[in-house]
Amino acid sequence: VSLDQNLYATVALAEIAIGALLILRLAAGPTVSERIVALNTLSTQATLAVLFYAAAADRTVYLDVAVWLASFSYLGAIVWSRYLERGLL
Amino acid sequence: VKTVAFIALSVVGLGFSLSGAVGILRMPDLYSRIQCSSKTVTMGALPALVALVVGEGVLSDYASRALIIAALLLIVNPAASHALARAAYKTGEPMWPGAVRDDVAERRQRSAGARSGSGSGSDGDRPKSGGEDGGAEGRR
Repeated sequence: VSLDQNLYATVALAEIAIGALLILRLAAGPTVSERIVALNTLSTQATLAVLFYAAAADRTVYLDVAVWLASFSYLGAIVWSRYLERGLL
Repeated sequence: VKTVAFIALSVVGLGFSLSGAVGILRMPDLYSRIQCSSKTVTMGALPALVALVVGEGVLSDYASRALIIAALLLIVNPAASHALARAAYKTGEPMWPGAVRDDVAERRQRSAGARSGSGSGSDGDRPKSGGEDGGAEGRR
């Protein structure tokens, strides 16, 4: 029924490799906002990588990690932009 | 057939994600980078999630989680990008010098000119250094 596990592992590794490009922007971004953009995108890539790794390792438990990441990782961007917009509080 | 569909969808998704990452690395401007982050990466994630649904079958655990994640990404990613772009504009994040139009600054200039009547368009440009103009106009 299911596909070859190596295909899923390949897709997960490719997502991680794309995340490495984003880490460059996260390290080199001149301002805080650009780091937040890179971090937000990096969390999306991390979600996909965890999801495909769960399929590659055939562990259903890891799927909850991906769902958690997708549902709460945006809070970082929201909170940081709110902080940039009107300071603390 | 299933393998071919999986490979095709994941190649499309990974290509979009890669172009988004390269765009975030190479774009000259924060706002252009937000374009890459918001649209390209979201549209790169969706084919990859559909590829997982195709590969594992619609009734598996993976498919339901992948569809939940797709719905969450479609709601959450534009909201975060919008909040970030708004905050960056209000704090006076510099725009790329080659940018051709800035609708918010034009509208502010027009309303300021209509209100005062003098039409002093000299300071109608958007605030360069963060703070006084954006803070006074933007706090609601």
